[in-house]
Amino acid sequence: MKKRNMSEFFKDKQVILMAIFIIISIISISTAGIEQGLDLKGGSLVQLQLEKPVDDATMDVITAVLDKRLNIYGVKDVKVRSAGDQLVIVEMAGATPEEVESLIGNPGNFEARIGNKTAEPALTGVDITNVEMYEITDTEWNVPFHISIEGAAHFAEMARGKGGEKVYMFLDDELISDDPPSLSAELANGVPTTQVMVTGGANSPEEAEEEAKQIYTVLKTGSLPVKVQVVGSSTVSPELGQQFLEGAAIAGLLAILAVSAIIYFRYRKPILVIPIVVTCVSEILIVMGIASIIQWNIDLAAIAGLIAAVGTGVDDQIIIVDEILTSEKTTENRRRTKTKINVKKALFIIFASASTLIAAMLPLAYVGFARGSSGIGTLAGFAFTTIIGVLVGILITRPVYAKFVEIFLK
Amino acid sequence: MLKKFIDSYKLLIVIPMIITLLSVCLIAFNGVEEGIELKGGTIAILKMNGTMSSSDLEAHLKTALKIDDVDVVSNTGEDVTVEMGSEINHDAFNSAIKGKGTVVSFNAIGPLLSEEAMSQIYWAMLFAFIFMAIAVFITFREPVPSFTVILAALTDIIIAIGGMSLFNIPLSIASVGALLMLIGYSVDTNILLTTRILKRKEGTIIERVREAMKTGLTMSITAIAAMTMLLIATIFLIPEASTLTNIAAVLIIGLTADISSTWLMNLGILRWYTER
Repeated sequence: MKKRNMSEFFKDKQVILMAIFIIISIISISTAGIEQGLDLKGGSLVQLQLEKPVDDATMDVITAVLDKRLNIYGVKDVKVRSAGDQLVIVEMAGATPEEVESLIGNPGNFEARIGNKTAEPALTGVDITNVEMYEITDTEWNVPFHISIEGAAHFAEMARGKGGEKVYMFLDDELISDDPPSLSAELANGVPTTQVMVTGGANSPEEAEEEAKQIYTVLKTGSLPVKVQVVGSSTVSPELGQQFLEGAAIAGLLAILAVSAIIYFRYRKPILVIPIVVTCVSEILIVMGIASIIQWNIDLAAIAGLIAAVGTGVDDQIIIVDEILTSEKTTENRRRTKTKINVKKALFIIFASASTLIAAMLPLAYVGFARGSSGIGTLAGFAFTTIIGVLVGILITRPVYAKFVEIFLK
Repeated sequence: MLKKFIDSYKLLIVIPMIITLLSVCLIAFNGVEEGIELKGGTIAILKMNGTMSSSDLEAHLKTALKIDDVDVVSNTGEDVTVEMGSEINHDAFNSAIKGKGTVVSFNAIGPLLSEEAMSQIYWAMLFAFIFMAIAVFITFREPVPSFTVILAALTDIIIAIGGMSLFNIPLSIASVGALLMLIGYSVDTNILLTTRILKRKEGTIIERVREAMKTGLTMSITAIAAMTMLLIATIFLIPEASTLTNIAAVLIIGLTADISSTWLMNLGILRWYTER
């Protein structure tokens, strides 16, 4: 451990790169935090299957409608996303799967009342036959929709002479908008019409879009384009999640201790042990940092991926040490050039095995992104974390370890 | 001694082959249990208010839920894991267990979802293997060395699945993850061996094998030690996290298998290949 060596080591480009990555990771983790998966922070997940595969546009409508209904019901912190063309995943921190099941199991009950909030409903969800895409002209918006002939007759009767009065819209008895639209005069003449529209104005085109979308979604809710069915659900209590997290941390710590002990007994050089621990910890830190920056969920599967990446990392470090130690034995003179060559050889093995592992993980990661995290999708998290971990290892941390051994083990 | 060991390569190749064949038989006759997420059903983790024997709890759930297929997987007195063969309603389960304990984790998977997961797993495994093989071929560009690396990965996976059959570790999304991790560890040791023997010129082949073996065994032993720690920690600290327990168990079996497939089988094949 000579001073000259120290300064040579800390001036190395790879070493500086790793330091920068660690600092950025620590900053990101401490400010942005790490998004934890449901199995670690606790919560529920419901998987819904549509009766038949749908295109992207229909899928968007379905997820928007479900999201809307859950929000109106006051289910907090809910995430609705599609997985492939036939599955929808609902994740929530609070509610139980039963609430979700009951919410989506039956169609939303839509009602419109004219004049006052307790008036007899003029229009209900069953009357709506079709909702067309909303239109926006500057800050004005309208949502055209069709109603059945019976519905039209009833509506015409209820609306007669009430032009200009407020139309209160309810979804499952919850008022949708605090500033309800007014009934237009042409609908108040008592003549039944099956083509109606809700119009409104807002302060900006963005607001108009938002309002139109809300009404559109609410009208659609009564009539989801396809039937949905609950095919799976899972709940983890926050306490159990916390227990998982602590258990995994202790297991990781014990694993690192075991690895250190074996490395010490094999080489009898404490100077080799510390950098291996440092490398493992930096790999974990940087992967977590990347997860924090891209808001990648860390769940049990991701932790398993991290274990895989760090595990092959230890393999790589052993290869590096052995390559360099062999060169020490074989040639006494020109040792430095020899060491350089051997580091290159070690890196060949490392790159070969890393690219093989990444190749093996790619199909899984693809399945996950294409199908979303349902079923095997969990494995996508595992595969993705492994790939990131291996890349961080071969590009950032393991070359630094090689540098360290090269400089300090002469 | 090492020379003698290497020279009897025919015997070396035979040993892992026999273990692999035994594993195939075990898988064929004993079968591998499928986890809940693959066969469909319900798994619940409970915190009990008081100790209740597994058979009492099973009997209670059978009558309360009107089902036949109830299995208490683990019961430490306080923490209990129950598996049920069908998709159970969460509410119904809650009321069935009322007063006896609380549900901390509940996972119900319908048949539609599990069928899909199963077919996805087969495809993912198949493609993972094909991609791995392509990467290995690109690295070595020689048929025999590439073949040995791939063969070793295959035998490791087969023996690991055999171990799962033997120790009743269910085939689940977690254990499939472990099998894929095994590919990573397996190619590590085998690429090391192949590179050291074929691409190096220093020293005699015996010396090169000795050095490679030292490195490779250290790698395998550290990985096995790390996984053993994970296994012990999860069994004692978080018995509910069967994901991690299964991963660790499968990897320990697979890594042990890898020692034999690398240093007996592949060493033998490569020795034969260099001697020709």
